[in-house]
Amino acid sequence: MTLATVDYLIFAVYFVFVLGIGWVLKRKVSTSEDFLTSGRSVPVWITSLAFVAANLGALELIGMCASGAKYGIMTSHFYWVGAIPAMVFMGVFMMPFYYGSRARSVPEYLKLRFDEKTRGVNAISFAIMTILASGISMYALGLVFQLVLGWSFTASVLLSAAIVLAYTLLGGLTSAIYNEVLQFFLIVVGFAPLAILSVSKAGGWSGMKQRLDPVMTSSWRYMGHASENPMGVDVFSMMAGLGFVLSFGYWCTNFLVVQRAMAAESMSGARRTPLIGAFPKMLLPLIVILPGVAAVALSKMGVGYALPRKGDGFDYDQVLMTLMAQFYPSGLLGVGLTGLMASFMSGMAGNVTAFNTVWTYDIYQGYIRKNAPDSHYLWVGRMTTIVGVLLSIGAAYLATLYNNIMDLLQLVFGFVNAPLFATFLLGMFWKRATANGAFSGILSGTAAATLTHGLTMAEGKGGWIATIQTFPSTMAQNFWIAIFAFSVCFVVTMLVSALTRPKPIEELRGLVWGATEMPKTGDLPWHEKPWVLGVIVLAACLVLNIIFW
Amino acid sequence: MDLRKPSGWFFTLLGALLVITGVASPEARAPLTQVNINLYTGLSTLAFGGILLWLAHRAS
Repeated sequence: MTLATVDYLIFAVYFVFVLGIGWVLKRKVSTSEDFLTSGRSVPVWITSLAFVAANLGALELIGMCASGAKYGIMTSHFYWVGAIPAMVFMGVFMMPFYYGSRARSVPEYLKLRFDEKTRGVNAISFAIMTILASGISMYALGLVFQLVLGWSFTASVLLSAAIVLAYTLLGGLTSAIYNEVLQFFLIVVGFAPLAILSVSKAGGWSGMKQRLDPVMTSSWRYMGHASENPMGVDVFSMMAGLGFVLSFGYWCTNFLVVQRAMAAESMSGARRTPLIGAFPKMLLPLIVILPGVAAVALSKMGVGYALPRKGDGFDYDQVLMTLMAQFYPSGLLGVGLTGLMASFMSGMAGNVTAFNTVWTYDIYQGYIRKNAPDSHYLWVGRMTTIVGVLLSIGAAYLATLYNNIMDLLQLVFGFVNAPLFATFLLGMFWKRATANGAFSGILSGTAAATLTHGLTMAEGKGGWIATIQTFPSTMAQNFWIAIFAFSVCFVVTMLVSALTRPKPIEELRGLVWGATEMPKTGDLPWHEKPWVLGVIVLAACLVLNIIFW
Repeated sequence: MDLRKPSGWFFTLLGALLVITGVASPEARAPLTQVNINLYTGLSTLAFGGILLWLAHRAS
């Protein structure tokens, strides 16, 4: 793939604008809260789009297109089952506690609700996870640009990291969020034409249905048994593992996304953030997954498109780039690649801004220096931003050298994360849940996740203790690990809570259902009522599922 | 800062670049594209940028 002058020009214009936005927002930063939490001042339409964009990294775009080609339209379950219901739950039920508690981060909520050690486990594992995630996506981006454009891995990694660093350092979270909105629009402008061109070339949805195996064009019809579909999952593990434990665990407790909602200018805005964000989120599969499905249809039409190969099989991760090369002339190609760069930056800025807040407030202020003046924490926040970017670059290079170590680390921290939703669910909706209950729940849930992985086998993964069960795919294995981790955490938290003394009710005000006055919504117009929006979102999502049944 | 303004300018500029590319080399095609996609995407992007600028203008 070769680029023309206009493509480089588009890259340059984009860089100027993201840096410019950071530069203008620099004036708004005078306290640590301005820098790390946006001082709770961002309009709701901006937080909503940032909520979606922070999760829409480059790995997601490449991976969803790859899954579309590998599994077909079933991949949309990662959106319609694996995101939308959790986003509705978050906006309607959980946001009043996060926003109302005045906590500055998710780990800080855990400290207020439970205790220091529960916060510590969450803060430290989250901080490490964000660095790993941004390092891995930086590695993936460097590889793509090296492979497709022949750019030097080091140069593209350093350039993109430097730009993210510059605008987050200048304007803090506000700058990251504002740029995420610009990046979100750019991703749509850069990828929507690809979806339209590839699907129409493949004969539209009906043409694709004729050319493809029916399992590729049905999202639900082959979910009855794991052996009927290429994902190797059945409807129960999909609904319980992905649709409940993993999805709610991510969208309702991961500070990376929760932070966007918490930056909203009002309680009503914070609650509407995930609900409004759900509309673009549920339409994204049409842009990110459909081209992958269309690619398979095109490869059967003899129009000169072939799926990229690696050895004996297909290299699905290359599908997105080969489609761009086949459909985009110079000009639009620049927009598409800039969109990919933008998605990488929005994901990385999301990780960096979540990392610096958790480090500064939960780890540094929590354990290293408790009572310093605010200007000191602002300085620490800025330094942490630099350190976070440097650590991400380090993680990217670690991934080039020892890919297995990165996989292992992600796996291990995934075990810590797996049971978390049980802790939050009980913490927010059961007054009787105690700190020791929560802490022992997290530990035993993590142990259950580790054991499940050690005792089961899928595609050669796991089974390092013994193999008592074999799953048809690692995806099914992951879903079951999540289900066991959640259940064990839930039961242990309840049992230990029953045996230990709960916090007095006065200390739980604003933190738990039943001890908190829920925000009044009676006077709001209908389109600002969270439950009305929630019902509309769920109905729209149902319609999409029926269309692609 | 009203974000609609800088993003409006960004997409207006991006759209203009694409339209110019589409008009200057109307025969430019990728292997599987039959239409002047630069021109059409450029016009839509230009319209999107314009709408953002108009919304910002109306609010101020």
